[in-house]
Amino acid sequence: MDWCLEVWGDYACFTRPEMKVERVSYDVMTPSAARAVYESILWKPAISWNITSIEVMNPIKWLSVRRNEVGKKASVPGLKELSGEKEPSSGIFIEDERQQRAGLLLRDVRYRIHAFFDFIPPAQRKKNLPTETALWADAGEETESARADECPAKYAAMFERRAKKGQCFHRPYLGCREFACNFQLVNPNVDKKPIPESCDLGWMLYDMDFSDIENPHALFFRAKLDGGTIRVPKKDSEEVLA
Amino acid sequence: MILQSLKEYYDRKALDPQSGIAPPGWCVKGIPFIIVLDEKGAFVSIQDMREGGGKKKVAKEFVVPLAVKKTVNIAANLLWGTAGYVLGLDLKKPMKQEEQKRTFINRIKALGDIDDLKPVITFLETDNSERLQADQYYQELVEDNAVVSFSYCDDNGLLVCQRPSVAKAINKTVGKKSNASICLVSGEPDETERLHPSIKGLYGAHTSGADIVSFNLPAFRSYNKEQGGNAPIGEIAAFAYTTALNFLLRKESKQKFRLGGDTLVFWSAKETSIESDFASWFEEPPEDDPDAKTYKIKALLKSVESGAYTGPDGKDFFYILGLSPNKKHISIRLWRRTTVSNFALNIARYFKDMSIVKPPNKPEYYSLKQVLKSIAVLDESENIPPNIAGDMMTAIIAGTPFPASVLMAAIRRIKSDQGRVKPVRAALIKACLNRSRLNINNKELGMSLDVTLPVVGYQLGRLFAALEKIQQEGLGDTNTTIRERYYGAASTSPATVFPILMRMKRHHIAKIEKKGRQVNLEKLLTEIMSRIDATKSEAFPRHLNINAQGYFAIGYYHQMQDFYTKHDTKTAPETEAVTE
Repeated sequence: MDWCLEVWGDYACFTRPEMKVERVSYDVMTPSAARAVYESILWKPAISWNITSIEVMNPIKWLSVRRNEVGKKASVPGLKELSGEKEPSSGIFIEDERQQRAGLLLRDVRYRIHAFFDFIPPAQRKKNLPTETALWADAGEETESARADECPAKYAAMFERRAKKGQCFHRPYLGCREFACNFQLVNPNVDKKPIPESCDLGWMLYDMDFSDIENPHALFFRAKLDGGTIRVPKKDSEEVLA
Repeated sequence: MILQSLKEYYDRKALDPQSGIAPPGWCVKGIPFIIVLDEKGAFVSIQDMREGGGKKKVAKEFVVPLAVKKTVNIAANLLWGTAGYVLGLDLKKPMKQEEQKRTFINRIKALGDIDDLKPVITFLETDNSERLQADQYYQELVEDNAVVSFSYCDDNGLLVCQRPSVAKAINKTVGKKSNASICLVSGEPDETERLHPSIKGLYGAHTSGADIVSFNLPAFRSYNKEQGGNAPIGEIAAFAYTTALNFLLRKESKQKFRLGGDTLVFWSAKETSIESDFASWFEEPPEDDPDAKTYKIKALLKSVESGAYTGPDGKDFFYILGLSPNKKHISIRLWRRTTVSNFALNIARYFKDMSIVKPPNKPEYYSLKQVLKSIAVLDESENIPPNIAGDMMTAIIAGTPFPASVLMAAIRRIKSDQGRVKPVRAALIKACLNRSRLNINNKELGMSLDVTLPVVGYQLGRLFAALEKIQQEGLGDTNTTIRERYYGAASTSPATVFPILMRMKRHHIAKIEKKGRQVNLEKLLTEIMSRIDATKSEAFPRHLNINAQGYFAIGYYHQMQDFYTKHDTKTAPETEAVTE
């Protein structure tokens, strides 16, 4: 079962990893940004989204801006500070850390994202269960390994209902959080054609591989715009380079 | 795609032995002084390799082993370096000079046991200070901490590092491939480059070099990756794209163009003449050849008209990259990949849009700087609004309408400059209006007067010009004409001003001696008024918007130019006057 979401917004910035400081966007949406849109509508440990294709509906337009950003990363407050003792503040004074950085963003974007999810059976999911008996809801919960109604259709129905209603956990965004977007579940056969462009976009970020949580690394694939459509390979296919 | 295109450019240039681009592991550096040794390692002399006359003496450039990237740590280059490393004499850092020299010697020794290097090592390990100090260039070398390298006295300027046996040893140390990770530029497995070579030669950036790809502050790092790990680019690709960019930014490069604080570099996938001509279309012509620019632009227009770029060559890609410095970072402000034919068409269109009838002593084509100065306060280049240059260039290359602020600035300048519609401002306004989406349904503005143009702003501008001419002919030379007093109000709110001007016209026209001339001018006024009446229900609009004010300026300009053009009909001969 796969779906088509149409997303559109005024601005987008799918940042290139090599130009992270002075942001330059990719020409089109990255599969990881597309996955994030679907995950913002529905995500559960039972499903994992796969993007199959991205269609570019609007011509690619650029905008160059300069924005003020902060040059420091927020740090976790130490124990001393949390307990209330007098300590130099771990906050950031923006005036001292201000940096002006330029950005090359996309304007007036509209994409159609096709995706489906993989259902992960309960046995393979990461367990996140209480350890003390007092925390169980009742006797049955402790022994029950999985709910009886676990199946892909359940999540498919959840997603479709939420997407049709416009429900989301957090507002989907196009690359950067500040570029919020609108979304709509559409029937892909409805007549709206992607832009008639075909070109080779070079190596593009596919996604991050979090299988080793201590050391995530980036995956790349060769993005080709074919009649306005980018076919996104499967994660484990040989087109995706680690 | 950006770094990939730069790498492809490097690959294309590296195949061409004439290109002057350095192979992997090497770089091009200016070396002002060379220490000449004999075959035993004894000091012979210091050779001055600087060329050029006058104050600006430029060091001759050599291909030397790639510079190491360093900031305040001690790291020696191979067989070339500053006086602090080579001679161990650093006036600014005397504590470090010993260690610097030792690192330098060790690096040479690490190359291996090569006969050609033995004299250099002998020289470095013996005390030559007496003979060095006697040399005429020694003082300058040490004071400037100048870069210096070595040569043997019978080698005639060939550096020690360029000798075949030495170069072979150096090349062996370059290009180790491991399967560490995939390079995101080439897609091939390659060792990730930790710190990319610096980009030098970008105007306004830090003098020691700046980087596009850099992650020097914690805020820039992701997933706890350090430096180059944040964007895995292989060593080969990193070398290729930085060398290509340094090549495009070098001093005598014809493929760069400064636009305010930003720099534009451009190149094509295959060798084209556009690559080298682009800058000359937009810059001031060189002093020794002022017609070169006009000639090149005319050649472009002719070749576009004759369809020269519509063949298979026209489909080759042309790349434009706009860079802006930010201390040690370089931000990319513009990136365009277009076909050669598309690009040529858009540039030709720009020049056609900017063409307008002019007095004969004005240049036929303006440089971009002249155009932007005309809309800056007091016509000073430092008052050009900051982003306008880049936005204009983007619009020219893409063939899109000019930024709205350009039209507004031009009209504002005309009003504050007492109604002086200079030819360059008129050309710019004409281009803005013809390209604007608001005027898609209007008839296009031509190069010279078009009496039938059904735009009320245009006809009002014509009327204003005619009234000014009447005043000038009636009263002769006065201190101020109606232009200085009334232009601003006439173009903004015609209904308030034109009735007054029409009343004054009666007195001016009565003072003209020749009756025939009076009749002709009245006829002209009637003709213009009839056109105004035909466009709108009320005679004079209460307010003109910016677009209409632009038409007003052009109408005024066209009509004034028409007065000073000789016609074949029976009008009284005019004295040639230059409109300013």
